[in-house]
Amino acid sequence: MIKFWRVAWHEYTRHVLRKRFLLALLSVPLIIGLMIGMVFFVVSLEMSDEPVGYVDASGLLTDPLPPPEVQAPERQISMQPYESAEAAEAALQAGEVQAYFVLPADYLQTGKAQVFYEGKLRESVTGQFFDFLSVNLLRSQPDEVAARLVQGTLVVVRATESGREASDDSWFNVLLPFFAGIIFIIAMSTSSGYLTQAVVEEKENRTMEIVVTSVSPMQLMGGKIIGDIAIGLTQLIIWGIFVVLGILVGSRYVTWLQGVSLPGSMILLAVVVLIPAFVMFSALTAALGATVTEGREAQQVVGIFTMIVWAPYFFIAVLMEHTNSPLALALSFFPLTAPLTLIMRAGFSDIPTWQVALTSIILVLSAIGSLWLAGRAFRLGMLRYGQRLRLAELFRRGG
Amino acid sequence: MPTVELTNIRKTFGPVIAVEDVSFNVEKGEIFGLLGPNGAGKTTSIRVLLDIFKPEHGHVAVLGGPMTEAKKDQIGYMPEDRGLYQDIELERCLVYLGSLKNMEPAEARRRMGEYLERFDLAAHKHKKVKELSKGMQQKAQIIATILHQPELLIIDEPFSGLDPVNTQMVKDLLLELRGRGVTILMSTHQMNQVEELCDRIVLINRGKDVLYGTLDEVRRPFTGNAVLVRSTAGDLPAIPGVALVEGHNAARRLTLQPGVTPQDVLKALVAQNVSVEQFEIAAPTLDEIFIQVVQSSEPSTEASQ
Repeated sequence: MIKFWRVAWHEYTRHVLRKRFLLALLSVPLIIGLMIGMVFFVVSLEMSDEPVGYVDASGLLTDPLPPPEVQAPERQISMQPYESAEAAEAALQAGEVQAYFVLPADYLQTGKAQVFYEGKLRESVTGQFFDFLSVNLLRSQPDEVAARLVQGTLVVVRATESGREASDDSWFNVLLPFFAGIIFIIAMSTSSGYLTQAVVEEKENRTMEIVVTSVSPMQLMGGKIIGDIAIGLTQLIIWGIFVVLGILVGSRYVTWLQGVSLPGSMILLAVVVLIPAFVMFSALTAALGATVTEGREAQQVVGIFTMIVWAPYFFIAVLMEHTNSPLALALSFFPLTAPLTLIMRAGFSDIPTWQVALTSIILVLSAIGSLWLAGRAFRLGMLRYGQRLRLAELFRRGG
Repeated sequence: MPTVELTNIRKTFGPVIAVEDVSFNVEKGEIFGLLGPNGAGKTTSIRVLLDIFKPEHGHVAVLGGPMTEAKKDQIGYMPEDRGLYQDIELERCLVYLGSLKNMEPAEARRRMGEYLERFDLAAHKHKKVKELSKGMQQKAQIIATILHQPELLIIDEPFSGLDPVNTQMVKDLLLELRGRGVTILMSTHQMNQVEELCDRIVLINRGKDVLYGTLDEVRRPFTGNAVLVRSTAGDLPAIPGVALVEGHNAARRLTLQPGVTPQDVLKALVAQNVSVEQFEIAAPTLDEIFIQVVQSSEPSTEASQ
């Protein structure tokens, strides 16, 4: 048993201590950070804090309250009163304002206002002006009524079975499983990639023959798979820390991050579905490493496996609209597509317990089957240097 | 009880018969030579013995019974295809391979230090294996094979890639290990090393064992049909029963006709009053025996065992 752990530890440290792994580890948060930064940058390009003018014939904005404060990345636009439409037009032409509104005398009756601009009317301009207007229209109301009215409506969708909720404030909770799924698959495929590579390398540099005369194929393969899973978990934990930090820091500035929570049922789902899926995938890639002779060839086949694992993303629309459709069920019960499908469905709806249990059982059985297959592939394929192991040979009796 | 017993082993890969019928024993504490031309089935026999391959037929016993996981720790194996982890430091590589033989890492590190000193590799222990020269890797491989002090050592071509100094170093090491009671099974093509080191040999050809025994036992059937004679007179007179006379350094090599013994030749020389300075039965070298046996078992003249 100690040899098993020695193999696992060796596998783990030889990958985790490499520069390549550290780069891969840091690249994901860096890329996510960069993407968020890009979004902010693009949004801020869209924003402008050039003043907006208004001509108020209705008297609603005489001696106005200041406009409500806006949140990043939106920029505060100052509201500039003008005596007449001509003066406002001149300011627009002179580039002093980016747009101006004209409130007619009968604004309260008609609710109609005019806006004049050159080129493009930014959404933030209308948004901020109407917030400014709302605040002033409601100034006679008690504070809490005014605040409530400015807040607008909030529709909360609640599942009757479990009491799960989704609303405008917590839409990120629906997206969270997607991100979690993506991160999990990236971790799973990169660490399985290391595993296949390690197995092929052992064949290529002929260490395999020495190793199998020191440990049993099962100890070797089991140790490698455990090492591989530990590598994947390391990635996940470190990325998870980045995500949690990101949410904690981000939620101080961005409202939609404030409602983020990861329910316990989601964590339970991850344990019963993702862990056996990870074992299965690792064992399959280990088996693959033992059957092929070149690293390049192994990468191609791992690529095909990974594509199947990603496949549920192509059916996202169907899964979203019909979370219990036959396709959704089929994808949930097919071992390679099960992890992602289940996570996505869990984001949209509640999955019946029996389905989770069935998927979990299927994945556990698949994991055991894959381990058996990997053990066999090791035994048969470990010393074939020039020749590939055929699939039929793996399932033949004896050998 | 022999340390290794292979009895009538047969192993095929699809249509290819790698080993047809091979039997030999390796006795405790001896250096045993496993010889044969390329493709004869030596490596397959070793892999069957190590339980890497299961034979279709025959019986294998290692250290007194079938191969087990625990016995792997008592065996040191250096395969023909050398293999060390290339991308890690030499020290880490050797300690890991030692730990897979159930050594405590600290103990593995201590013993490794001694061997690295002995093999002039101590200065390189923090280098990656791929940065070492071929000869250094070869020495590192030998250390990996003996680090855990195995009872049985199985080495394929121990001297390939070594310069004369290192060859001598490895030879001394093998003799030292034998002195400590280690059983050594060595596969090689270098017949001079076999003659120097091996107590007994087996010669495998075309998947069958064709010669087996101590060096003397193996040589005996091939000796006696030639003698070396040196006389003060230089040229020798015609001697009945001699088929061929060739120069052999300062002496003459007389190949005898069938049925003629060296004794007959000596008598004839004495009868003819030749003053003999040297009279010696010409023993064939293992090289000569090897070539003769391998050539005589070409398909047309399949030699029986």
